[in-house]
Amino acid sequence: MEDLFLYSKKILLVDDEPELLRLVTDILLDDGFRNIIEADTVRTGLISARQDKPDLAILDVMLPDGDGFALMKELRTFTNIPIIFLTAKDEAADKLAGLGLGADDYVIKPFLPQELLLRVHAVLRRCYKADSFILELEGCTIDFSRAEVNKNGTIIPLTAKEHTLLQTLSRSEGRIVSIDALCEALWGDNPFGYENSLNAHIRRIREKIETDPSKPVSLITIKGLGYKLNARK
Amino acid sequence: MKIFSKYISKYLLSYIGLILILVVLDIAAFVFTFYNAVSKNFGNSSPQNTLEEVAESSSADGITNDAERMLVSNSLWAMYLNAEGSCNWTVNLPEEIPTEYTIQDIAVFSKGYLKDYPVFVWSDENGLLVIGYPKNSYMKITSNYYPIDIFRKILIFFLGIFVFDLTVLFLAYSYSKVQIGKKTEPIISSITALSEGKCISLNLNGELSEIADSINKAAGIISRQNTARANWISGVSHDIRTPLSMIMGYAERIANDQNACNQIKEQAACISRQSVKIKELVQDLNLVSKLEYEMQPLQKENIRISKLLRSYAIDLINSGLPEIYSLEVVISPGSENSEIDCDAKLIARAVNNLVQNSIHSNPKGCTIILALQITLQAAKEKLLLTIQDDGIGISAEKLEELKNKPHYMESTDDRLDLRHGLGLLLVRQIVNAHNGTMEIESKLGEGYKTDIYFPYTAKP
Repeated sequence: MEDLFLYSKKILLVDDEPELLRLVTDILLDDGFRNIIEADTVRTGLISARQDKPDLAILDVMLPDGDGFALMKELRTFTNIPIIFLTAKDEAADKLAGLGLGADDYVIKPFLPQELLLRVHAVLRRCYKADSFILELEGCTIDFSRAEVNKNGTIIPLTAKEHTLLQTLSRSEGRIVSIDALCEALWGDNPFGYENSLNAHIRRIREKIETDPSKPVSLITIKGLGYKLNARK
Repeated sequence: MKIFSKYISKYLLSYIGLILILVVLDIAAFVFTFYNAVSKNFGNSSPQNTLEEVAESSSADGITNDAERMLVSNSLWAMYLNAEGSCNWTVNLPEEIPTEYTIQDIAVFSKGYLKDYPVFVWSDENGLLVIGYPKNSYMKITSNYYPIDIFRKILIFFLGIFVFDLTVLFLAYSYSKVQIGKKTEPIISSITALSEGKCISLNLNGELSEIADSINKAAGIISRQNTARANWISGVSHDIRTPLSMIMGYAERIANDQNACNQIKEQAACISRQSVKIKELVQDLNLVSKLEYEMQPLQKENIRISKLLRSYAIDLINSGLPEIYSLEVVISPGSENSEIDCDAKLIARAVNNLVQNSIHSNPKGCTIILALQITLQAAKEKLLLTIQDDGIGISAEKLEELKNKPHYMESTDDRLDLRHGLGLLLVRQIVNAHNGTMEIESKLGEGYKTDIYFPYTAKP
């Protein structure tokens, strides 16, 4: 469905453990990805990245000729592709999160295949979703490039805040986005006490996108947690 | 510190006791020695008695033979002076003693010596009886007059001296107690810290520096051992991760393989489920050992717990929490903006362990509530985080066991019936690391509830 375009993305895998390399490749192939490039050292990883121009890199932290962090720094000199780390250490995860090296996500070994796939999908969706400016909802269409809602032929403009809010929700389409994340997207850091304003914005968006704003089907409230935007099935 | 005060007090008490015993002994020795000396006399009785005896057996006219013999045998002499100052009679009188006396002569010798002979006098209606003792037999104190006030004051004086001495002793005692306390306090506190497994480094000069060195050495050994143990656990858990990834990955693939028969799929699913358990164990083990040996520095920042709970819950739901479980987050209005200084990852880990416990023990599904509120505990404001399910709960015995049975990670016992499972232990360690407290409530069939209280001060 929605994610089909993701499967055409090219993924670079760098891991020195041939069996693990094989396993991750199998997991990705099983899921539907078609373009997997394998490398087992920092050196070959860099060569592959330059030659094949992958859309996503999955890097092991421990490599025979250096570590994944060094490889990432090298990669960043010529490409901005999303990077997911595979790590066998909690500390490495801490380092990634703490230093803000610019990695997009990390998966701690041991991991279940779904876990890895979930992160790969999320990262790809987040990074390449901007490609599609049109989001189809039940009963209307949102055109992000024009900040407009097309409801049965009627064009309704979106305010800047509504646009940001819908974009944040659409990036995690089908999944819950927390009140906090939405407030942060709208008002920046430390958005204390903005919940009421958020509710007001949500109400106005519903009037624009829902067929029956009192019984929302696209923009769902998840009580106590946040909101979820459902695309048309 | 207290221990040492007691120790010192005990020794001081026995010291004072010893002084008292010595004083008593001294007095006894004194009395014994001088009683003999005082009671030792020339003749059989004291000069006073001899005088009385002689006075009775003599008169102005003469002396009985018995008395005379007694005087001679004791090498004493005697004379009787009449009112005119001349001798009525004499016994054994040395040659140098005159027989005529003026009133001045008598006044001079009567209380003291006559030609260096100590003399004792007895007066009756006719004259004066004088008994002389050999030279150097008795010492007479002739100038024995003191102001009467002195004698009145002497009691107060002795009492004063006694009190003064006691005060000086007590001051010396207090001073040495404080001094020893000061010097030994760091030693005691570091030994206490050491016994609690904390890292210490003691810096002392002077006489006690050797003790400090030994303690530092011991602390070094313990800390090296702890580091080695934590590293060992961390190494093992690290090395297990890659192989386990393989097992988990392929088991899952087989379980989802369209071509495999159902039996094989089920078996693979079982392998997969069990590997997940090993994975959780490995992750917990590493963190538990690091917290246990204080190898995990807390990365504390001010965190809004409400936000943390929501983000945790959303991650869990988004990652595909089965429909049979419902997860709710209930934040009381007052606690929405409550921040505490904590390690967000650890708090989320603790919450996750409790939620996973609820999920694992209720395979048929349940409602899990994460609640946050501000409450009073022992008159202090606390942030209360409650993780509660409405599942099958546990029996009273199990609950008791959970609360009281020692965990194998924390026991040096050889017993085999120690508590297992690291999940709850980790929660408790995390709560402790944040100075929080934790209470578990559960009844069979009535769900399971964990209350975690964090110290909290409201921001203005």
